[in-house]
Amino acid sequence: MTLSTTATPASPKPRPGRFDSDLPQFWIAVAILVAMGIIPAVLGSSYWEHSFQLMNIYIAVTILQNFLFVDAGQKSFGQGVLLGLGAYGFAVASGINDLPVFVGVLTGIVVAVAGGLLFALPALRVQGFHLGFVTLSAAVVFPQLLLQMDSVTQGLNGISMPTPGLSKPLVLGISPLSILCTLLPIAALAFHYGIRNSRLGRQMRTAAESPEAARSLGINPGHMSSLAFILAALGTGICGVLFVPAVSFVTPQSFLMDVSFIFFFSVVVGGRGQLLGPILGILAVFTIPNMLLVDLAEYKPLIYGFITLIVVIVFPDGIVGTIEEARRKRNQTGGGERAFHLSALTNWLNSLPDHAASETREPIISLKGATKRFGSVVAVDRVDLELRPGEIHGLVGANGSGKTSLLNVLNGFSRMNEGSYTFDKRDVSRASAADIARHGLGRTFQNPRIFPAFSVWNNVRVGLDARQSELPKELRAVLDSMRDDYASGLPTLLSHGQRRLLEVVRVALKDSRVVLFDEPAAGLSAEEREEFSSLIWLLSRKLGTTIVLVEHDLDLVWSIADRITVLETGKRIAQGSPEDLAKDPAVQHLFVGGDHAHA
Amino acid sequence: MLNEMFANFDMIMTILLRGAAVGSLFAIIAMSFNVVHNATGILNFAQGTIFMLGAFGAYLLANRVGFAVWIPMLILVSIVIGLFTAAQGWLTLKPLRSGVEQNSWLISTMSVSVIIAAILTLNFGVFGNMVRGPVPRFEILGVRTDGAFLLAIGSMFAWYFALRWFLRRTFSGLAISALSQDFDAARAAGLNVGRLQLLAFGISGVIAGSVGFMVAPMISVSPDAGLRYVLNGFVAAVVGGIGNNTGTLIGGPLVGITAALTAFYIGGAYQDLASLLLLVAILMFLPQGLFGRAAARKV
Amino acid sequence: MPMLEVKNLTAGYGDIPVVRDISLTVEPGEILLIGGENGAGKSTLLRAISGFNTPTSGSVIMDGKNVTGLAPERAAHEGLRLVLDNHRVFPELTVHDNLRLGQAAGRRDPDAFAKTLEEIHSVFPILKEKAQARARDLSGGQQQILALGQAFVARPKVLLCDEPSMGVAQMLLPPILAFLRKWAESGTAVIIVEQHLKVTQPYTDRALIVSRGQVALECPSPELTDRLAAWNAQRMAAAHG
Repeated sequence: MTLSTTATPASPKPRPGRFDSDLPQFWIAVAILVAMGIIPAVLGSSYWEHSFQLMNIYIAVTILQNFLFVDAGQKSFGQGVLLGLGAYGFAVASGINDLPVFVGVLTGIVVAVAGGLLFALPALRVQGFHLGFVTLSAAVVFPQLLLQMDSVTQGLNGISMPTPGLSKPLVLGISPLSILCTLLPIAALAFHYGIRNSRLGRQMRTAAESPEAARSLGINPGHMSSLAFILAALGTGICGVLFVPAVSFVTPQSFLMDVSFIFFFSVVVGGRGQLLGPILGILAVFTIPNMLLVDLAEYKPLIYGFITLIVVIVFPDGIVGTIEEARRKRNQTGGGERAFHLSALTNWLNSLPDHAASETREPIISLKGATKRFGSVVAVDRVDLELRPGEIHGLVGANGSGKTSLLNVLNGFSRMNEGSYTFDKRDVSRASAADIARHGLGRTFQNPRIFPAFSVWNNVRVGLDARQSELPKELRAVLDSMRDDYASGLPTLLSHGQRRLLEVVRVALKDSRVVLFDEPAAGLSAEEREEFSSLIWLLSRKLGTTIVLVEHDLDLVWSIADRITVLETGKRIAQGSPEDLAKDPAVQHLFVGGDHAHA
Repeated sequence: MLNEMFANFDMIMTILLRGAAVGSLFAIIAMSFNVVHNATGILNFAQGTIFMLGAFGAYLLANRVGFAVWIPMLILVSIVIGLFTAAQGWLTLKPLRSGVEQNSWLISTMSVSVIIAAILTLNFGVFGNMVRGPVPRFEILGVRTDGAFLLAIGSMFAWYFALRWFLRRTFSGLAISALSQDFDAARAAGLNVGRLQLLAFGISGVIAGSVGFMVAPMISVSPDAGLRYVLNGFVAAVVGGIGNNTGTLIGGPLVGITAALTAFYIGGAYQDLASLLLLVAILMFLPQGLFGRAAARKV
Repeated sequence: MPMLEVKNLTAGYGDIPVVRDISLTVEPGEILLIGGENGAGKSTLLRAISGFNTPTSGSVIMDGKNVTGLAPERAAHEGLRLVLDNHRVFPELTVHDNLRLGQAAGRRDPDAFAKTLEEIHSVFPILKEKAQARARDLSGGQQQILALGQAFVARPKVLLCDEPSMGVAQMLLPPILAFLRKWAESGTAVIIVEQHLKVTQPYTDRALIVSRGQVALECPSPELTDRLAAWNAQRMAAAHG
């Protein structure tokens, strides 16, 4: 069988709409930013020039907040603190202590990154509203500290640091400062776009949307959130440094909590996760109220408070998000039978020779005396389990018999209280889930982990991102065809069965030597069940993947498994081939009406 | 020597009393958090400015009045704020019913907090206002004390026991308790979840608003102060274990006394920093709080 | 006219269809036993009927009224009451307060409640003895009795009972089932989902087996044993064929 027989439709495919509008949004945003940077200067209005400089800095901070909030899933309400740290770091170093500018700039950035690390620290332990309160507290405390530490910061007087050199017109009446302030948000935007389309960005998003899925793909969510905080702090620190020449002086009043509110609210109003969002958000929340209410400054919080509240209640997707959602609805392709199919992959698998490894007797997984307790409950009770390469191993038992607990021990989600666990000749008894995953273990979840922010192809690609080994050449061709088919596919249109298969493909592309399936057949139709069975059969026989199948559908297990282990109240009560076990009295209670059989 | 000791004793007593009194306000905010959290799983960021609404109620309607005016006004303000908070709850819960977006409450309650503070600022300015209440000053252990201090501590216990009674004795209270213990079973039993959640919001508003009204004389009545109370109230709730009202009785005074000691030994501006550090320490090492959740424990 | 009529119901969790195209009816005074293996969709079926999962298609008609997709608390007010599996009660409340909350689904009438309470206490004296104990201090079986008592307080038209035997000592099952039988005979339509078919079947009128989210067989309860044996033999032959 050759690849040319893969079942791509003969008719020319309709040109599908883009999955997202990130690229057009990026260019629109760049155009707006350039226009805003240049026009006031060309018109010769220094008032507007300064206003737009500050606004551009705010936009850059908001872009980074957008990244942190959506792509990395970290709810920080204290980004104004990082901006202030950057500004004060620079101003204290170069404005008060007369250090060279580049040392001052570096100081500002380092101080801001240190602040970001402080935010990241609690983020390792807590998420959601806890983190929100911590960062919000920091935003409240920060100006108090600036006032208090007046020996360093000059307290309420602030630090004056005029930089007339930067404000002299360079070309067309545009000053170097205006150019810098225009390049800053563009750079932030390019960073956001770039990281979102990188392996790292996908891994961050995965960790943000499903920490378990991330860990099962070898990603450490703590590393991801820390890195995200540091990156955002780095960028925000640069913004802070530029804040100093743009405003000419820094005082604690510039970094009150309202500033943090503005960044955060702008993200929401503009549209969470939308590249263009921060620009429109800052315009709506900051610039327009500022322009309209020049003499009524006290009304500003009221205005942005109301705008945010109304947006959250009425247009939860924000300005750009609402438009983007409408575009998606109009353009949506995919869905239906062809939204996700496997023929390209199965054809390739079929073309492979049978895997030879199944003859080796050396077990790939060896679990001895595994015990897992939760308080007084023994969920896994001295279980021994040996899995051979390429075998399909069924794990069955009633509800609460410890199947999922055992699965969690195997992939490292929970650590054994006693026992030893060897995976591919390596002791992993104390290893983390991410470590075990990188060592070659994959798993799926009862609810397929599909990420709506990714196209169907990127959902598959997450598995490829986690791959440690070289990709076979033929497989690359298969993947190219999948990319063409699914790059614009909306994952939300996939049926449950298709999602399940997608997850299997993802975990197969990760090149897992052992794959754990947690109730994969639940909710599959008869045909999907068939397709699923033949896929895992191919994985086991052609690639030599060891399959562990936790499944209630006993017919499925009995028809496909090489061996079966039966659990009851955490203990292994039987093990053997399907034929042998079918007659075992200890197993009868699993079958409906089975208690009649030996009563 | 002896005199000095007594002077010190007086000082320590003053600090402890002040800390405990301010801390009991944090405990009350924490309880009002808990009522909503147990019924809905969300935290109302606006709880601090709602507390301030109560204090402004006192400033506006019951400054320098006797008990004959003060008490009816207290009741009126509490009811109005309760209704307002229930309405806020309705608005907050509305997008959550659709099921897709489950984080919007974080933003909507925060924006309500900003709006309340902004409206107060527009009407009363940014500076602190003084309120004189009807409760007289008195001496306790030789220390002259503002009556509102005792009122603060007293209302912490009063609300604690009132909530306890409500949640254990009345049908609606039992229903709210049931909601926090087993949400699905509560729905299966036919408890009107939506109405109970609004009731919980309303009660939290009455708690925060009434206490804000009563203790107005001991605090600086300013729009921005609300944020300080919501943050410290949150720390108190986390210290005691979110959802656990008994924990707040320890958590609140602990935060208050920490702040008072910090103010005395290091400086007033470092109080909030001390609370922040306390919060981070608790989250890092005891994320369930000192007492965890009452419901999860078997006594 | 049947008290409960389920037509072509398809439902699941999120996007996972667990129950596909199931139809069933229950008459007033009748007990329908639903069996099936773990994961076959029995609990999902009950949760879909009672409104915890919104069905993607199909309908639920109770006493001539369409209650499809009604929120569970609304359904309870209409007289459709689910008793969840795992003897779920409100653990921190007393036994008496747990029963008191049973009134939430109906009208709150102190006299009627007192009478009902007396009735429950006469069948299960343990609930009277432990009236002031916290529910969490009860045994699994006692909690199951309490959960059923709470449902009984509201006198629903339809009672859905998910695995009443779960976590219940064997000797407590017959009184529980007898109570359900008596309850049904007062005109309530009852569905019991159970794995322990042998103990439950004598107390029921008809039986229905769910497999892979669909009805695998349906028969009068006395025939269940034989029909199941035949069906299982056929399955095993298929699996090894």
